[in-house]
This record gives sequence, C-alpha cells and structure tokens, in this order.
Amino acid sequence: MEEKIKELLVEILNIDLSSIDEATSMDNTASWDSMNHLNICFSLEQEFGISLEVDEMESMISFYDIIRVVEKKM
Amino acid sequence: MTNRHNEVRRAFLHALQSHQVHEAIGLARLLFEENAPLRECMFIRKCIEKNIGEANAFPVVRVALLSSFSLEFIHDALIAVGFLSGLCVRIYQPGFAQFRQEILNPASGMYAFHPDVTILAVEGKHIAPDLYKNYLDRSEQELEAIKQEVASEINSLIEIFRKNIEGTLLIHNFAAPEFPELGILDGQLKKGQIQIIGELNSSLYQLAQQQGVFIVNYQSLVNRFGYTQWFDKKLEYYAQAPVAQLMLPNLASEYAKYFRALKGLSKKCLVVDLDNTLWGGIVGEDGPNGIKLNHQYPGSAFIEFQEAIFALYKRGIILAIASKNNPEDVDEVFESHPNMLLKKDHFASMEINWNPKSESIKKIAKGLNISLEHMVFVDDNPVECEQVREALPTVSVIHLGKQPEHFVNLLSKEGLFDTISFSLEDRSRSQLYKQRAQSEELKNSSASLEDFYRNLKMSVCFMPINEESLVRAAQLTQKTNQFNLTTIRYTEVDIAERMRDSNWVLRTVQVKDRYGDNGIVGLVMTKKEKEQLSIDTFLLSCRVIGRTIETAMLAFILKIAKTENFHSVVGKIIPTQKNVPARDFYRQHNFKLVEGSESGWSTWQYAVGKDLIPYPDWFAIAENDS
Repeated sequence: MEEKIKELLVEILNIDLSSIDEATSMDNTASWDSMNHLNICFSLEQEFGISLEVDEMESMISFYDIIRVVEKKM
Repeated sequence: MTNRHNEVRRAFLHALQSHQVHEAIGLARLLFEENAPLRECMFIRKCIEKNIGEANAFPVVRVALLSSFSLEFIHDALIAVGFLSGLCVRIYQPGFAQFRQEILNPASGMYAFHPDVTILAVEGKHIAPDLYKNYLDRSEQELEAIKQEVASEINSLIEIFRKNIEGTLLIHNFAAPEFPELGILDGQLKKGQIQIIGELNSSLYQLAQQQGVFIVNYQSLVNRFGYTQWFDKKLEYYAQAPVAQLMLPNLASEYAKYFRALKGLSKKCLVVDLDNTLWGGIVGEDGPNGIKLNHQYPGSAFIEFQEAIFALYKRGIILAIASKNNPEDVDEVFESHPNMLLKKDHFASMEINWNPKSESIKKIAKGLNISLEHMVFVDDNPVECEQVREALPTVSVIHLGKQPEHFVNLLSKEGLFDTISFSLEDRSRSQLYKQRAQSEELKNSSASLEDFYRNLKMSVCFMPINEESLVRAAQLTQKTNQFNLTTIRYTEVDIAERMRDSNWVLRTVQVKDRYGDNGIVGLVMTKKEKEQLSIDTFLLSCRVIGRTIETAMLAFILKIAKTENFHSVVGKIIPTQKNVPARDFYRQHNFKLVEGSESGWSTWQYAVGKDLIPYPDWFAIAENDS
C-alpha cells in the first residue's frame, strides 16, 4: 500500500520517489498545493475504493498522515 | 496498476518520444478506456507537455472556460481528450463565478486570450436559484418572470460576447433539480419545477439559433450518467466543484465533439465488417438463411445496429465494407435476406476478399478520395482491429466485441461523425460519392481526357453567398483539406461579416453533371485591395477534383478582375500536409511567383491583360449576381 501511495505522489506532485519519506508534507513540498491535494484525495479514493470524509481530507497533510488515514479506512 | 497497463504506458511514452504521434494517440485511447481515467488524463497531459510541448503539429484550440463553479479539475481531461482527437488544447480559466465579468468587460482576460471556443458552464441553481430552491415561495407569475429574466440575461451576455469577439460560444443548458420540491406532484402542475426548467432550456435553444452559438446538452449528459454519479455533494461543498471527478472526462469528451467539428476533424466515412457486425454468425458457414438477423435476440440487436448505421448514411456519412468473405455469399444476403435494412446501394465501396483489412481500407480510401484520418473502422474481431490499428494508425478503430446490444453505444458515444452544420448537400453525399465512383469508371472508358470532360456535361454556377448557402460555405472552409490553396477555416460568423463588407467578393460554386447535382462544391473568397484583386480562399471539394472546375473558377475570378479594372490578381499557397494536389495550381495557370519558396508559403501574381484564361469550353457557365 505504501508503495502505491508513493507512486501516486510521484505522479501527482512531480517529485522523485527517493525523496519521499514520512515527513514529506504540504509544508515542505512546493507542488503540494490545495489543487494537488484534492487530486491526491481523488486518486486515493479511486485507487483504494474508499470514500474520504472531509475531516480526513483535511488531516492528510503528509505522507505519514495519508498512510494513517488510508490504513484506517481499509 | 497491472503489468499490461504499465506496458501500455511505457509504449505510449516511447511513441511520444519518437514522435510517432498517431501511434501515441492509439495507445492513449487504450489507457483511457482501461483504467481510472483521471489519473490517466494527468499522466497523458504530463507526458505530452514534457515530450512534445508546444512544438506539436496538431491544430491548436484555444478554450476559455467560464463557469459558475470550480471547473479547474477538468483541465487534464480536456487536454488528454483533445490529444485523443489530434488537437492541442490551450485553456483560459478565470476564477469561478466570474463568467459575467469576463463577458461584460471588453478588457477581460478572456477577450485578451482570443479563444476559438468559449464555454459558458453555468449550473441552473447558480443563475436561477429561485427556480431551484425557493420554488414554493413563488407564484406562477413570479416563476414565469424569473424564467424570462434569466433568458434575457443570457441573451444579453450572448449579444455582448458577439460584439467583442468572433469565436464559437458553447452554452450549457440546465439540469432540472433531482428532487422537485413537490415530489411526485411536480408533474401535475402547470408550472412544475421540471417543466419550468424545460421551458428555460427551450428558450436557450431559441437564443442559439444565431451563428456560432451552440447549446451543450448538459441535462442529457447528466441523465445519461445519472444524477447520483454525475454530482458529488462532498466536492460541491468542499471545493465548489459539483461535478464528480470521474465524470469530468465525459464532460471533456462532450466538448471535444465541438472542437473536432470546428477544426475539420469530423469523420466522413464508416467502414464496416460484415460477419458478427452487420449480422450474427458467419455467412460462409451458416449460409444466408442461417445468419442471425431477425426480431429475436441477438438478431434484433444487429437490426438495431443497422438502423444506427443507416441513420449515419442519411446524415451524409459515406459507408463502405471491408470483409473477408466470398462475394457471392454476401451478394445473396444483400439480395435475398428480408431483414437487411442496409442495401448494396448504400455502400459507396465494397472490398470483399481475403486481403488484410488494412489493404482493403486503403483501397476504399483511394477509390473514394477520402483521407484515412477521416475514416472509422468497426469490427467485432480484436485481431482485425489490432491489425488495422497498427498498419493504419490514423484510422479510428472501434472494437465492437461480442455483445451486439452494445454496438450502437460504442459507435455513437464519441460523436466521431458530429458536425456543427448540416446542409442539403450532406443529405445526399453518399449518393454523390457513388456518382463519383461511377464517373471514375467513365474516365476509364473515355478515349481522351477531353472527351471525358465533355461526356460529363458539366455546368457550373457561381453565386454570391446568401443566407441559404452560408452554412455550406463555412462548412467547406472547415472541411476541405486537399484542394484548398490557403486552408483558412472560417465560421459562419466570419463569413457573414465578410458578406456585409463590399470589399469582399464571395462566390459559391455549384456543379451539375450527367449523374446529378453535386450541390455546392467550391468556394472563392477574394478581396479588393487597391489595384489588385487578392484571392483569400480558393477551394474545391475533393469529390470533384480533376475535372478542370478549378480552372473555370480561376477564369471566373480573372473575368471579375478585368471587368472591374484591376491590374493584377494575386494569390497565396499555404502548404499543409494535405493540400499537395493544390500546390502547383498557380504555376500551372501561368501565375508568376513573386514571393516565397517552392515548399513554404508563396505568393503568385497574374497580370490582367488582354488574353485571360478562358472557361474550358466543355462547361456551361452560369454567373448569377443576385
């Protein structure tokens, strides 16, 4: 699952796979803007067949947070 | 992602990098059909931008998106879908709910962008909230007044838009509320909510009776996919983006139908397979009486598919057959099967043999003088589809599969044959192509070319463009590729404007011959510039090329130049991939090269003297000035 999420982030944010770690977040990644944040949410929903609540969408602001939320939903 | 999917992605990227764009389009179509379309759209867009960037040879469509809600998320889909159609889409998107300001302010970013197409995507509840939300607070008279107010606002937006700009305007109609306030009773009322939105939509269609304004049938799109799928409430509240992400490619595809039509990319010819496509079973094995074509499933589904193809024929799409079969078997089906709706006469060309289908399609294209990229091929067999896709990447291939009940949907959903105009000529086009094939035969039997021309008994009529021929004239500029000296595309609005300008001389060319009336097949647009008459547009439909009609058209222009005392006639050749047949035209007619090179743009001049190029004497000419 983590690999899949990384793949998504690479694609959407145009960043290197090797640069992603738990601390990768909206704050330290320039391309992770609000528009791309929604793109990440849509892709996660489609990829994992889940439906995210607005609170969850708002809390997923780092790679670590994403894993935490997706794990909980599955 | 599956391995297969990764492979297709890699192949797509490779095709892009090696500039095999048509292969890339084919692979992008596969990606698009197979997987989560949104991610693919993003992937396709990024690959295009990285690998071909601005430097691709595709026609550019400049699109301004004016909306009452957040529509930014459609950009990837719009660019990807444009690419699938062979178009390069550039987008202008102001903040949402800016649509009024953008239209009203002549200095707005939208006007500065010079869009080819402006899309007004407004949700009913944003422009007419009272019809959606406070319905029960309103009297019948108030509802009527609100409806008229909205229609007149849109009307004035259209008028202001038209004053400022020439491009095409697409306006969404309105989807009625999913749950009317009075529920099941809504239908009983004189002014129910559904009813009143319907009336508002009707008045939109009336407004669109003007040139260059088209209604996008948003209500029917929503219906096709269903309210529950189309709208995403969470996104609506969270991001002011009510259309569900998964639906955006469908909306983009709907827009792309208009883009293709505007850029002359509408398909013109449908090539069909026979066994398990027009009927169930294999005629060579099951016999003409054993094929499934009757009123029980699956025969009934094949009849329905034939009906859909027949409707294409009636709207002017040329039909052809590429089938691996014995011609005698096929003849017998056509002649004796009681349920064959399609007759031999409906097909302009039939290739029934055991050659590869790509060869058959090439032969059809040559015989009918249609370029491959205007052809669509349908077959139930994946191997045949793949063979054609690989050998002829510019042909659109639709793989029908095994369930005939889906065939009509597969053929229709992309709107590949859609055009933005429909003229009298369209109705009889298939017949005309058949005539053309017949006159090719005559060409073979005539002793000399001159005899052939005489035998054709052609008459040519030059007429100023008028209200009736305006649609056809614009259509000719949009669709003619081969014999087109400058390939300038005009909309009806563009031409109407030139009709009012006395410096322009605009003539349609109508040709009749012993086989029938070909209708309006040519167009000349010339402009008076001081002492010279300048040829802006000179084109002739490919079905009548090679009959010296072009010489007659030039003779006509020279005659005007002489009568009106111009010193010279000048014309340009703007080379495109397609207009090879037209490149030597001026040279062949003794024009002198004044500027430019043999391969690039060139300007040619003809001094108007005593001896002018005469009309070839095999024509009967009519010049009609009224």
